[in-house]
Amino acid sequence: MMLGGTAVRKFGENINTDYIISADLLQESWDADFFAKHAFEKYDQEFVGRCAGRKDNVVVAGSNFGCGSSREQAVHAIRNNGVVFVIAQSYPDIFYRNAINNGLVVAKSDTTGMREGDRIEIDTASGVARNITAGTETPLLNSPSDLRRFETRDTLEYVRGRLRERLSAKSE
Amino acid sequence: MTITEKIVSRASGRNVAAGDFLEVLPLDHVYLNEVIAPPALIGFERDFGSTFSGLGKELRVFDSSRVTFFPDHTVPSSSEKVSEGISMMKRFSASQGIRMLKQGDGIEHTVASENGTVRPGDIVVATDSHTCTQGALGALAFGIGTKEAEYALANGELYSFTVPQTIRFDISGRPGRGVYAKDIILHILGMMGEGGCSGRIAEFGGSCVSEMDMDGRFTMCNLCVEMGARSGMVEPDGRTVEYTREAVASAGGEWSEADASRVMRSDEGASYEQVREIDAASIEPTVSLPHSPANARPVGEVDEEIDTVFIGSCANARRDDLTEVARILKGRKVHPGVNLIVIPASRRIYNWALETGIMSVLAEAGANIESSNCGPCFGKHMGVLAEGQKCLSTSNRNYRGRMGSEKAFVYLSSPATAAASAVEGRIADPRKYVGAGA
Ligand code: SF4
Repeated sequence: MMLGGTAVRKFGENINTDYIISADLLQESWDADFFAKHAFEKYDQEFVGRCAGRKDNVVVAGSNFGCGSSREQAVHAIRNNGVVFVIAQSYPDIFYRNAINNGLVVAKSDTTGMREGDRIEIDTASGVARNITAGTETPLLNSPSDLRRFETRDTLEYVRGRLRERLSAKSE
Repeated sequence: MTITEKIVSRASGRNVAAGDFLEVLPLDHVYLNEVIAPPALIGFERDFGSTFSGLGKELRVFDSSRVTFFPDHTVPSSSEKVSEGISMMKRFSASQGIRMLKQGDGIEHTVASENGTVRPGDIVVATDSHTCTQGALGALAFGIGTKEAEYALANGELYSFTVPQTIRFDISGRPGRGVYAKDIILHILGMMGEGGCSGRIAEFGGSCVSEMDMDGRFTMCNLCVEMGARSGMVEPDGRTVEYTREAVASAGGEWSEADASRVMRSDEGASYEQVREIDAASIEPTVSLPHSPANARPVGEVDEEIDTVFIGSCANARRDDLTEVARILKGRKVHPGVNLIVIPASRRIYNWALETGIMSVLAEAGANIESSNCGPCFGKHMGVLAEGQKCLSTSNRNYRGRMGSEKAFVYLSSPATAAASAVEGRIADPRKYVGAGA
């Protein structure tokens, strides 16, 4: 799978989920678009405006992107701003898993050479990230099984299958 | 084997080692708070409704006796939407036979251990990153998001799980006067950085941890997620078993042979990714400066006026904590420029503080005491900070904007340092207030 877009924002290290979506908003809506509207409200007031009207936004970050709380609303806040993928040096487990479970591609790669405005592409089949603007290439560091999950986005079907098995076994 | 490897091996029925991949990890317990339960319940019906109806079955969670609901964050409710969410949980839990606690019963991570919901050797997930607190019981416990909560409700399973590596923190020596578990863990966060334990289990051991009471162990495990840890872990010992026995009995349950068989410890010579040695005697009362929990400094290096002190959250506000706070505040007054908010972490702790007279000591000193909830810790209600305000908090996160305005400043410390600072109106060294042998 090939994905490409423009780096709308480059963040530093340790961007926590409170910065992505403020905790006091979590209980005020059950709608993903509500969270998208308030993305980075306390941390980066330009973010939503920069993403507006585009479907090919790429978020670039340093290490430990999405640390802190387990709120999945952080994933919705990013994804529903027309973000095709996030690319960062590393992610903590909870955010990384939340992203994959919600179809947000979270690529791991060396992002030091990436800048705002650069065109960035990732190719999950060959496992590389390309900075088209700078003409450079870095390897994707996600596990091969995670790269496949980006493509198939099939966890829910798998879980439904487990549920069907469990329910059928019980009634025997 | 490490205790983590043993717990996963027990649950999965085969011997596993760190790095092994499990397609399915069976869970012992799942708990949800009122922040994430409403969207998770909506998602559960949306994503699995047709699977149940397709087989002619009613929609049911995997095992209602292994699910608990905690309305704990924004209670008493601060908005219509919050109340709506709590009502939804009530309806769902009643129809499924799930145990749901009441508003004010306490913060999920404090209550889940206090009433025996979690026991040593269990594998537990909950919709909150501080689920790692339960590691203090020798259980494997960690936070999950909304989707994984839906999946857990459906099948009692977690998917695509890699057994984490363990970093062992061997803590020896006796902490000095005015130094508590909170100071030790803030010190460790400073040493490791916000991502320093990423994806790993932080296993705390050594003579200092063996001598530490359970309340301190909970505090240590609570904050390990602030260095990215998947979870914290303390090997269970006599103290753990005694604590859990009482907790289970207090909820009308019984501690069984099966429970006893799940009390596990790491083997001598277990393989750790790293072992870090720490001398508790060398640690000073520690404060984390804005805006990172890992921005830790000895209290002596911090010179800052404050206008708010919050003693509460799942990190502290247990019995030992409130005992220390009362010891410092007894016969003293909160500084005229300081708003002191004290929120005992659970109803039991709240009622115990009433009985022991601790509550009146706090009230006479001028504290605002609230019923159990998370409130100020995540900037939702009961003391939201405005631009320019400076707060010393016993919670676990001092991110920019965490407790209100992004232009407020939050410092983290132990309850003793917080109490001393409430008296002085500036960040203060608690050693002035606690005698030798504290
Ligand atoms: S007290 Fe704070 S950190 Fe703990 S569960 Fe509540 S909001 Fe989260």
